[in-house]
Amino acid sequence: MKIQGTKGLLLALVTVLMVSLLSACGGKDASPKGNNGTNSSNNGEAATTKDEITELSLFIDASWYPVNEWKGPIAEKITEKTGVKLKVTVAADDKQLPLMISSGDLPDLIFTSSQVTRLSDSKLSYPWNELIEQYAPNFIIDDTRKAIHTMEDGNFYTVRNSFATQEEMAEHKYAIGSDGNPGIAVREDILAELGNPSLNSVEDFVNVLGMVKEKYPDMVPLTMDKDWMEQYFIQQFGVEALLDGWYERDGKIDYAIKQPEILEFFKFMNLLYRNGYILAENFAYTNDQIDDEYAVGGKAFAHSHTVSVADSDNAKIKNNGADYSFKMLPSALSKDAKIVSSGLGFAGTFITKNNKNPEASIKFIEFLASDEGKKLTMFGIEGEHWTWNEEGYPNLNYDPSDADFVNGNGIKWWYLYNDGVTEGLQGYVPGTQKTQALLERKAITVYKPEIGLIQTEPDSEERTIKTKIDEMIKNEKVKIYLASSEEEAIANYESMLKTAEQIGLQKLVDWANETYQKKKDLFK
Amino acid sequence: MEVETKVSHSVQWSHRRAQFFKQLKKQRVLHLFVGLGMIFLLIFSYTPMFGILMAFKEYSISSGIKGIFTSEWVGLKHFNEFVSDYRFGEIVRNTLVLSFLKVLFTFPAPILLAILLNEARNLRFKKIVQTVSYLPHFISWVVVAGIAFSFLSADIGMINKALMSLGLIDKPMDILTNADHFWGLAVGSAVWKEVGWWTIIFLAAIAGIDPTLYEAAQIDGAGRLARIRHITFQGMKGTIVVVLILTIGSILGGGLVGSNFEQAFLFGNSINNSTSEIVQTYAFKVGLRDGRFSYAAAIDLIQSIIAVILIFSSNFIAKRASGSSLF
Repeated sequence: MKIQGTKGLLLALVTVLMVSLLSACGGKDASPKGNNGTNSSNNGEAATTKDEITELSLFIDASWYPVNEWKGPIAEKITEKTGVKLKVTVAADDKQLPLMISSGDLPDLIFTSSQVTRLSDSKLSYPWNELIEQYAPNFIIDDTRKAIHTMEDGNFYTVRNSFATQEEMAEHKYAIGSDGNPGIAVREDILAELGNPSLNSVEDFVNVLGMVKEKYPDMVPLTMDKDWMEQYFIQQFGVEALLDGWYERDGKIDYAIKQPEILEFFKFMNLLYRNGYILAENFAYTNDQIDDEYAVGGKAFAHSHTVSVADSDNAKIKNNGADYSFKMLPSALSKDAKIVSSGLGFAGTFITKNNKNPEASIKFIEFLASDEGKKLTMFGIEGEHWTWNEEGYPNLNYDPSDADFVNGNGIKWWYLYNDGVTEGLQGYVPGTQKTQALLERKAITVYKPEIGLIQTEPDSEERTIKTKIDEMIKNEKVKIYLASSEEEAIANYESMLKTAEQIGLQKLVDWANETYQKKKDLFK
Repeated sequence: MEVETKVSHSVQWSHRRAQFFKQLKKQRVLHLFVGLGMIFLLIFSYTPMFGILMAFKEYSISSGIKGIFTSEWVGLKHFNEFVSDYRFGEIVRNTLVLSFLKVLFTFPAPILLAILLNEARNLRFKKIVQTVSYLPHFISWVVVAGIAFSFLSADIGMINKALMSLGLIDKPMDILTNADHFWGLAVGSAVWKEVGWWTIIFLAAIAGIDPTLYEAAQIDGAGRLARIRHITFQGMKGTIVVVLILTIGSILGGGLVGSNFEQAFLFGNSINNSTSEIVQTYAFKVGLRDGRFSYAAAIDLIQSIIAVILIFSSNFIAKRASGSSLF
């Protein structure tokens, strides 16, 4: 009898285990928190409008995204205007979206920069042109933007934000760009102690690093953010694209690693390393905080990051109670400095085939694309966060470099549709170092968006070759930087070119030229 | 005569069948437990296997799950691409060298520690050593990589600072950023992290040895080393062989301590890439990041085939050499 009891218990246990195992497979519930409580102050009103509010799911394909919840005054205002609220998921890594696409598990909306060509596919997304025709006939998008995003099938599925044509940028002199541009800051106090040596060329900068190294042997002369190591210097040497980009000369397109000027850049980086001005392990940093610690902690003289690096380092230093400060190097440190903007924008929003309310979705985007919507997302609420200055820029009541305030209120990041001009105006704060650096950059920027049209199609042979070459460059370039002599650096550079040829660089370049010839007239 | 045999055969057979069901009924609880494991394997190991089809097809992620069946066959195209890749040799070498080095060092280490602990007479000391040595097992590799940075960094690393100030080295060691040091780093950190954990299983084997054997040996005049060699080690042999076979079976994943992928991914950087890139990280980067699932599947399949060959041959060798084997 007793034995039977034990057996019964065991049987029950096994059953429970089995059920829990099987249910575990499907038991992955989505986000636990709803958006309750955001409207707590005006309950009565919220109750009446609640039925009309459409909730759409949005996937943001950028793991670094600073906002991950639809809340704050901007989000509330957008919901008030459009009747749409978003249930936001931010990607865990850059492999999540490809996996979602392959499993067919798509949300209502996707905001992505890396999968734009992939999602511009009638199997996965609704064409905007069809939705606009059907539901939002007054939603006007200019021809350039349409042309950039129109695919082979004649449809366009998104329009990227952060894009402006050369004419638009010229028209708005206060639209100066955003934080996403390279810059270098140096310690003002140390510079003074060194007797304020001149800093008007790359050679001057190297000299100053040498003086720092000599006088402060415990300091690292230059620390670099892991994502902002090369861009500033590449531009100083007149290289017209980043290492994975294209440049144009005499109507012909070639890969940036083949531009003659790039060898000077490589030699320069190697020189920095050989003289002990940069650390080898800087190239092994896996997070973007280490360089900040060096700079803010007073262990580095120069800090390579973005145009806002001096402002943000100084704010942190002040918080820590230290008394030194950083100032930006000029954006053009040499007469060769050149910035070629071939960007077609940053990221675009897609209305997927799984979308449960395409009508509300396109109307939602229509609002974001309106003048009111663009200013609301970028600057905040008019009167509360900003007022319009007749000169042609917003007087912001906050510091746009104050990440806590900006992210906390959800300013900027709901730019699911926007443009380079409005976004560029948010960066204009008279008197800041960032604004100065951006103004200097704008002065030497040349716009060649037609180069940006050279984009490989998903699953194409060119895409495979390009990915492999880029991955190869990522590893081989470090061998050039860290070579023990200039001869070795040059030899490593040549061997990198050879490997690229071996992978199929020539084929890729031929394809790029063909594409370029076909598409370049779009901007004429 | 013939008929008789047939009848007796069928009687025997039905008798056996009845016995089989009787036994099955008797062991039904145990079978339920086995069933649970089998369902687990079926769902998580066998069902996903149909995805292998992808390796032979031109699969595009935008075609969804049904695309695995509907996309076009391309034969061995993806296998050819991997084999003719300019880094194929290097990547396979790194995978094999890292795997064999890890087995070579991480396999004997816990056996040695178990024997040493068994010989330790101070119970308190033994307990402390055991706890200290197995605790790192519970730290994840991501955290270990972070700790390694603060200990081994050439600029701010504690170890370099200590050695420099003691005057033992005059230049900081670039352990994290030198391709020549990656394998040592991987093996060393794996031993540190897992040795204590695997010691437990060998200590359990030692605990099963009859203590009278030691007493008898002592009376016969066997010294400490002789006792270790002839009694402790002999008593552990069965466990050692089973663990060895399991280790070899998963050798490309890093053997009993696993973690080849985690180490290559977390300790790997563009400076030590020439020794740290292994098949798994390569498949992850080239295959998944760009949505090239077919290519990634082909690469992984090649690795699985090598692993299957290794497990069968190690089982065969174990059977020949020691008489005990897994199957």
